[in-house]
Amino acid sequence: MANDALALSEIDAFYGDSHVLHDVSLRLGDGRLLGLLGRNGAGKSSSMHVAVGLLPPRRGAVTVYGRQVTGRAPEAIAALGVALVPQGRRVFKSLTVRENLAVAGRRPRGGLPMLWTLETVATLFPRLRERGKQIAGSLSGGEQQMLAIGRALMSNPRVLLMDEPSEGLAPQIVAEVMSTIRRLKAEGLSIVLVEQNAKLVADVADDIVILNSGRVVVEGSAADLRRRGIDLRQHLGIY
Amino acid sequence: MDMSLTLVLAVNSLTLGGLLFLLSAGFSLIFGLMKIPNLTHGSFFMLGGYVAASLIGWGVDFWSAALLSGLLVAAFGGIVERLILRRLAGAELAQVLVTLGLSFMVADVCLTVWTGDPIRIDTPSALRGATSVLGVAFPAYRLAISVIAVLFAAALWALLDQTRLGAMIRAGVDDPAMARVVGIRVSRLFTLVFCLGAWLAGFAGVIGGPILSVYPGLDQEMLPLALVVVILGGSGSLLGSLVGSFIVGFLYNFGQALFPELAYVVLFLPMLVVLVLRPQGLFGRQAG
Repeated sequence: MANDALALSEIDAFYGDSHVLHDVSLRLGDGRLLGLLGRNGAGKSSSMHVAVGLLPPRRGAVTVYGRQVTGRAPEAIAALGVALVPQGRRVFKSLTVRENLAVAGRRPRGGLPMLWTLETVATLFPRLRERGKQIAGSLSGGEQQMLAIGRALMSNPRVLLMDEPSEGLAPQIVAEVMSTIRRLKAEGLSIVLVEQNAKLVADVADDIVILNSGRVVVEGSAADLRRRGIDLRQHLGIY
Repeated sequence: MDMSLTLVLAVNSLTLGGLLFLLSAGFSLIFGLMKIPNLTHGSFFMLGGYVAASLIGWGVDFWSAALLSGLLVAAFGGIVERLILRRLAGAELAQVLVTLGLSFMVADVCLTVWTGDPIRIDTPSALRGATSVLGVAFPAYRLAISVIAVLFAAALWALLDQTRLGAMIRAGVDDPAMARVVGIRVSRLFTLVFCLGAWLAGFAGVIGGPILSVYPGLDQEMLPLALVVVILGGSGSLLGSLVGSFIVGFLYNFGQALFPELAYVVLFLPMLVVLVLRPQGLFGRQAG
């Protein structure tokens, strides 16, 4: 649908010979937060890689605000306002914190005001300001996560994909990251939150999709799933 | 060895060091950033000299010829990178063979166009004669080459380390896939780096002309020197290239004067030692 911020339709994708996504369809509504759940290896990160152009699908279509981007280069998809906070953070380790942010800087599309700059990102994450000249590889895990989020915001995206932002972080840092996500959502950003932890997602998601072995096994609005009495944990193998 | 000979050798070493820096900085950037062992780099040097000699013959002044010849070599380098090396990304053996083959082809074409006779490029008139430093007379042009090399080293450092463009290039080296996701056009930047390296080599070939002349085989004489510099200094490190260039400049000149039969041993032995004991080079980053 044209008012979807991001849609994957009937995607089949492979890593080499390994068939990682089977007929996967996901829709992220404008201004909504989609929680994407599943066990390790369920295809969550692969779906994100398809969305940003790192993994061209063998079949199916990817659209950003109704525009076909299937098979386009990652830098072209980034220019349409899609940003990724990747699994494992993947900050540019030999660059300083400031450089990590600066290289991702981009004006928003359609002459909108610059919401995110070095200044506003540093206000959101004061620790990044303190560490501005430090080499990113020397930051703690939590600081690298903030940097990865800040870097994604610097491109002034319309669609933010967050791949397991809580992974490997201490509980109080996870809480900090989750409150940032709530705030970004309140500002109107369309967000996909990939998680293994169902509880984190259940609190903030408007819609939920669960993947298992590269297939969509559950989908619906969070309220709908609650009404139907579906226990998310059951599908994640946590009893 | 008497004092004046030592002084002459020292000045010659500084000059060769300067030329080697311009040559090897490009080689080091291309190898360090793009992982391409570019064996056509010596050809870029020779081609730069030949093209400039022709330009000067047509009445272009020395410095304009140096800039322009560098640009033509850079354009040639860009074509090689986009049309050939791009398709061989990650295949180092194929890159070695292709760039080596290309260097033979360039040598043949040069031989056809510029014949087998050495061509001398005249020293630019403003730098002919000697400059007096602390009462000792030095050939002005030779000193100018070392100064130019140091200025280029500073400019390259500023470009790579202090600008957003430089940070984008380094981001592309750190994690090319993620850099693209962030919106950086990595492929375009790498072409730019390759052209810059080719430009430096071509430019070096021109300003080396008044000292070395341009002749068939110059390419294959310069390439091993650049390799030694990069191995000594560490690939991808500008400081390493600068220091390595002057070390090789001194080893080469003093080696030839003191142990003429063993000049290559003096030159390559330190390279072997560094390779065995410190494979990342004196200033290179530890791999992995």
